[in-house]
Amino acid sequence: MLYLLILVAGGVLSWLGPWWMIAPVCFVLCWWKARSAGNAFWVSALAGITLWVGYGTYLHLAADVDLAGRVAGIFTGGAPALSWLPGIVLVSLISGLVVGLVSGFSGLAGVKMRAFRQTKKT
Amino acid sequence: MKLFRYFWPFFVALALIYVFDRSWALVPPLGRVFNPFGGFWTNGISRLPADGELVLPGLRDEVVVHYDDNAVPHIFAQNDDDLYFAQGYVIARDRLWQMEFYALVAAGRLTEVVGAAALDYDRFNRRIGMARTAAAITDKLKNDPTADRILRAYAAGVNAYIEQLDYADLPVEYKLLNYRPEPWSPYKSILMLMNMRYTLNGGSNDPRLTNVLAKYGPEVVADLFPAYPAVESPIVPAGTEWPFKAEVPPAVPDTVAVLPDNGLLASRIPAPRPEIGSNNWAIGGSRSATGLPILANDPHLQLTLPSIWYQMQLCSPDVNVYGVALPGTPAIIIGFNKDVAWGVTNVGSDIMDFYRIRFRDKALDAYWHGDQWKPTTAHVETFKVKGGTEVRDTLYYTHHGPIVYHKAERAARARGIPVGYAMRWVANETDGADVLTFYYLNRAKNYEDYRKALSHFTAPAQNFVFSSNGGDIAITSNGKLPLKWKGQGRFLLDGASPAHDWQGWIPKEQNPAVKNPERGYVSSANQFPADTTYPYYLDWKFAHSSRALRINERLDAMKNATADSLRMLQNDEYNVDARRILPHLLPALAADDSIRRSAEFDAIDRWDHRNTADAVGATVFERWQSELLAAIWSDEFTQDERMLYPSLDRTYALIENEPEARWFDKVHTEDTVETRDDIIRESFRATIAKLKERYGEMSPRTWAWGKVKGTRIMHLVPNFTSFGRRHITNGGGNGVVNATSATHGPSWRMVVQLDKEWPVAYGLYPGGQSGNPGSKYYDNMIDRWAKGELDTLLFMKSAHDSSARLRHRILMKPEN
Repeated sequence: MLYLLILVAGGVLSWLGPWWMIAPVCFVLCWWKARSAGNAFWVSALAGITLWVGYGTYLHLAADVDLAGRVAGIFTGGAPALSWLPGIVLVSLISGLVVGLVSGFSGLAGVKMRAFRQTKKT
Repeated sequence: MKLFRYFWPFFVALALIYVFDRSWALVPPLGRVFNPFGGFWTNGISRLPADGELVLPGLRDEVVVHYDDNAVPHIFAQNDDDLYFAQGYVIARDRLWQMEFYALVAAGRLTEVVGAAALDYDRFNRRIGMARTAAAITDKLKNDPTADRILRAYAAGVNAYIEQLDYADLPVEYKLLNYRPEPWSPYKSILMLMNMRYTLNGGSNDPRLTNVLAKYGPEVVADLFPAYPAVESPIVPAGTEWPFKAEVPPAVPDTVAVLPDNGLLASRIPAPRPEIGSNNWAIGGSRSATGLPILANDPHLQLTLPSIWYQMQLCSPDVNVYGVALPGTPAIIIGFNKDVAWGVTNVGSDIMDFYRIRFRDKALDAYWHGDQWKPTTAHVETFKVKGGTEVRDTLYYTHHGPIVYHKAERAARARGIPVGYAMRWVANETDGADVLTFYYLNRAKNYEDYRKALSHFTAPAQNFVFSSNGGDIAITSNGKLPLKWKGQGRFLLDGASPAHDWQGWIPKEQNPAVKNPERGYVSSANQFPADTTYPYYLDWKFAHSSRALRINERLDAMKNATADSLRMLQNDEYNVDARRILPHLLPALAADDSIRRSAEFDAIDRWDHRNTADAVGATVFERWQSELLAAIWSDEFTQDERMLYPSLDRTYALIENEPEARWFDKVHTEDTVETRDDIIRESFRATIAKLKERYGEMSPRTWAWGKVKGTRIMHLVPNFTSFGRRHITNGGGNGVVNATSATHGPSWRMVVQLDKEWPVAYGLYPGGQSGNPGSKYYDNMIDRWAKGELDTLLFMKSAHDSSARLRHRILMKPEN
């Protein structure tokens, strides 16, 4: 449920706002719905990755040209050690890492802040 | 501590957002760039509507833009203001990043987007005066109602596009380099043209020839660096009478050069690049199948992505023209309309000279000239370096021009401009209005209109080829050409002597030109504009004559020619140098048994002199020529001493006529005297050894010319190698008509067959209309270009023309 909520709310707000919109979404939804710290981190990270890599892959498949491959080439600098890796995989890994870290820690922050509020109430 | 237990993930998340939101050294802001909702991913899909209506404040009336199947826009406006507004808008839509990048280069502002690494480059560009000159030209053009109007309309169109952009719409280069476009202005359009001036005229042989003079004296210079080549076919056919009374050229002074005080000058100013050149020609009705002229042009420039050219059609009640534009500049530069066609090649005469300046003292505020101290003008240039710091640099001007470098500093050595020398350069002339030449050519109906249009042009001088459906063909070496004494500026000049100043200008109507010559065609390939009967001095050296010779011998033989005959000539790969010199080289090789029996000798002996992609003989010949030149000259004209080699033509003449010349002997082998044939054999062996080392044993596959030449078309940002195209297989070479080398070549090929009713035209360039690496129109023409094909150009009569090739239609509407 949490996963789906992040996906939907994150998708809508990312469409409208800056790249880090996924962070407040994970924060708020985890505050509200997360069961535990681990649950918050991993569900947020997974949802963020699904959203970015999923939508990115969709755009990649819808495009006429392998732009992902060209951008990946800039990051590898044509290094032979990385040439076996398809560009889309490399850029998906970077995208996933960036959004996974940001959304994971944002979700974790949400559930931790909730815990802090609860310690103050009790 | 307890608080920390609850709050740390919050701060980690904030820190991550901060880190991924900004760029770190060469790493772009990863969060922004990799976000699929706005980062690079979105450049792979078109976010702008391909069809439909746009409301654009600034328009006066509606404008219709049709896009054809090659993404070429056909703009139909109801007045000229709207026409150039729409041109700016449409080019920005495809090429915004590229045009702004060029403007930053010419303005010496690259440090603002790439950081301190570009400081030397920027400083050089400011010191040769490009930004200041562009500003002065822009100021002057404000007083020219027509130029001012089109430049401002164009800028308004570009800005209308920029204002619509949000981050997701930005060209991907902005995202990767992490900056945003600035507003466009007429000044930036002029900067674009300054870039062209530098590209076409930004080199000089003067320092290196001066070193030769210092070491060997005037007799050797006169012998090895003659004022006219042994074999040449000038633009104005030899024997043409000059239809004017020439002014008396200035007298040659007693001293023609200033030599460096001690030793040879350590200058490394780039020599004029032989790859920068072009071909154009027009045949008259007597040679064409239609009975009317056919015109062809292919400018040779560095091949880049995005391409330097952009195809478009511009139509208003005042004009209907098709051709290529330079991104960032209004009007069509090379093209045709219903009645006329025109094209350009570079003249390349000597329009850059260096004057040794004697300053009064270290303050650099006065210099000696004409027996008195004259004040310099100082300007402080400020460089903003990405990241916040600022660097200042003072630029000093004499009446000659800017002191390019005045103290021995690292940048001076790197870019190689003589220290303490002022530069006189035609590119810093601020009169005229180049942009008006194109504005009026776009509207020309006949020869008289063509000549009037040319009168506005300043620099860099171009050979404007012309044809009309009235049956005229013509070519004019057009632009400001300094009036010089014979040989003025071959060497470094004396900044104190008024006799060494430029003496004025050749009257424009006396520039080399020819109309409807008897031979039935006009042509140019950057060779001498005229033979030695021309009354003015232009330069002692022009591009090697091989392309011109081949073009003219093929045009001489043409009868009933069609547009396709001219297309085939553009792709001609016959090597006239090989035809000229191999009969003198091969016997020397054959005299040596071990060479004669080798497969490599066999390859060049049986070669048909064509630089085709599969020719192994072409590989051996091309590599051998540079080896041969070095074998003859590098011992006496050493690169360490920065000396100029004699030209290819002079070298061939030496081989042909002076087998006993002392230059063949190697100076550092004291006991032996090498003969011409020794040098020929030795250089051949060295060539083969190097080829084997690099490509292995000779085979038709590994030594094929197309593979060894390895043509590539790279992105303007050198690091973005994956945005370029490598390993393009085609034939060609520096000295052949299809002048495709590894990095330079025909940047636009056009053939226009004029007609009383409606012209038929063909064209193609090695790239694509879109500057977006995520578009299928980014590089879609490259493969056809490599094969030498041309597209039939869709030249519409009106916005209501129907064609199966039209794909999209945009209606631009003014704000109510």
